[in-house]
Amino acid sequence: MSDFARQQGDFQRGILSGDDTVLAEILDSPKEKRETLFGVYRYAYGSRLVEAMRNDHELLHAYLGDEMFDEMGHAYVKARPSEHPNLRWFSQALPEFLKSTAPYSDHPVLSDLAALERALNDAFDGKDGPVVTLAGMAGFAPEAWADLRFKPHPTAGRLDVSTNASAIWMALKNDGTPPDALLLEEPSRLLIWRQDTTPVFRELAAEEAMMWDEAANEIPFGVLCTMLATYDDPDGAAARGAGYLHGWVTAGLLTDASTGG
Amino acid sequence: MNVASRLPNSSAAALADRPMEQAKPPFLGFGLGLRHQHYDEILAGNPPIDWFEVISENYMLPGGQPLRVLDQICERYPVVMHGVSLSIASTAPPNFDYLQALKALARRVEPKWVSDHLCWTGVHGKNLHDLLPIPYTEEALDHVVSRVQLVQDFLGRAIVLENVSTYVQFNNSEMTEWEFLAELSRRSGCWLLFDVNNVYVSAFNHGYDPHTFLNGIPRDRVVQFHMAGHSHMGTHIIDTHDHPVCEDVWDLYVAALKRFGRVSTMIERDDNIPPLAELLVEVSRTREIADGLLAPGPHAG
Repeated sequence: MSDFARQQGDFQRGILSGDDTVLAEILDSPKEKRETLFGVYRYAYGSRLVEAMRNDHELLHAYLGDEMFDEMGHAYVKARPSEHPNLRWFSQALPEFLKSTAPYSDHPVLSDLAALERALNDAFDGKDGPVVTLAGMAGFAPEAWADLRFKPHPTAGRLDVSTNASAIWMALKNDGTPPDALLLEEPSRLLIWRQDTTPVFRELAAEEAMMWDEAANEIPFGVLCTMLATYDDPDGAAARGAGYLHGWVTAGLLTDASTGG
Repeated sequence: MNVASRLPNSSAAALADRPMEQAKPPFLGFGLGLRHQHYDEILAGNPPIDWFEVISENYMLPGGQPLRVLDQICERYPVVMHGVSLSIASTAPPNFDYLQALKALARRVEPKWVSDHLCWTGVHGKNLHDLLPIPYTEEALDHVVSRVQLVQDFLGRAIVLENVSTYVQFNNSEMTEWEFLAELSRRSGCWLLFDVNNVYVSAFNHGYDPHTFLNGIPRDRVVQFHMAGHSHMGTHIIDTHDHPVCEDVWDLYVAALKRFGRVSTMIERDDNIPPLAELLVEVSRTREIADGLLAPGPHAG
């Protein structure tokens, strides 16, 4: 290993783990000791990353408050050093960290809230794609509908949460007092996507969530309606399926509908 | 990606000086760093700014609003790309995924030039997201020259490198920072972004005269000035970019204009972002000072 490479390794270790080896190769300045000067880099490292987390998780920050968020943030920085050159992706592992690390894992709403914010962030700058319109759908002959297969917009994704994180998110977003955190009897099924440039989400009923998940697996519309018939009134299944589909198209949730493949 | 297959065939090839010979980028006038807080105002009002510098990483994204705004800005203004994660001085293997994404963005933006910093941001697979200092040694110079050559070959253009603010100096340095920058530019053909504030900050922190730095930089290699604010801690200065430009830095700007002539200049504000109008006053001041000292109009030097 070159001397330059060794020195960079020592410098990095000095920042990440507080090791002082590199100080032997650093000069005091005319007005300040090397420990203080090197400390500028040590301090900047943690504070810059926690600041990035605050930007990505504005509502989790509002929920926890400055002190608790920063304590959690520094714990995350220590546990998951950045491995990506773009700061944009630094907090991607936060939901998993909160789910698996005490004391945060004792409060599953934290992980759910972080997961919802991550999903919205991902929708915000996710891949662009065409959007299926009602006019486009009207172009399909009635007999073709049973074979129609759909592709979700690239920004559309599903998230199941076990807590009332979405109600807490909504209250915080509107500067209101969030409700007490609750574990739900059954998971809340969320659909997240980008409408024009704005990331949005809504909660799905079990039936619509099933249809969305199967549609995303390219199950044709006719089969989707047959599946809906097992959920509720079989006679109304096709109408319910058409209703869900109409909602998806008007919300810009689909990027393609075709009878091919 | 197989990194080794993308490297030059031999270490000798890597170390040979192959300065990229490319025409000096044009004088763009007086610009501003594009920040999302000002998107709506800029797109609604087309403020009188000659050009924008954009942070490359802010747009190295799959899609959405940031890239849509960037496309609109590019239709109306000349744009320069400025990165923070090239890590040109890192001894870690080059990150070709990053370079590929940078190249793709440059294809979309068609910037007047692509810049980053003379620094490193991490080794051993980690990224510290900071502009970390290097020792000014022959070994480091050889390494950085070869990396600049590699990046320039990959991007198909000469890059522009900026002097960073530093808080420490290494006891094994064999030359000054300005000697290092001058040699780097001569040997690799890269251009220089002279950050006036960073020179002021580093000079204070390390106890030298900023004019000595200024006079050590070759007159013909500087294509851009950065002007920014900082935080004074008494015994040292931290480059925070969260304040207006201070009077000492304005004075150093005058000296820089006298040495380098008309150079594309911009106000760089990264934190505590004020209303656009406040920054436009600083942009106007960069223009007025230059016009007062030098004949207005485009100039190659």
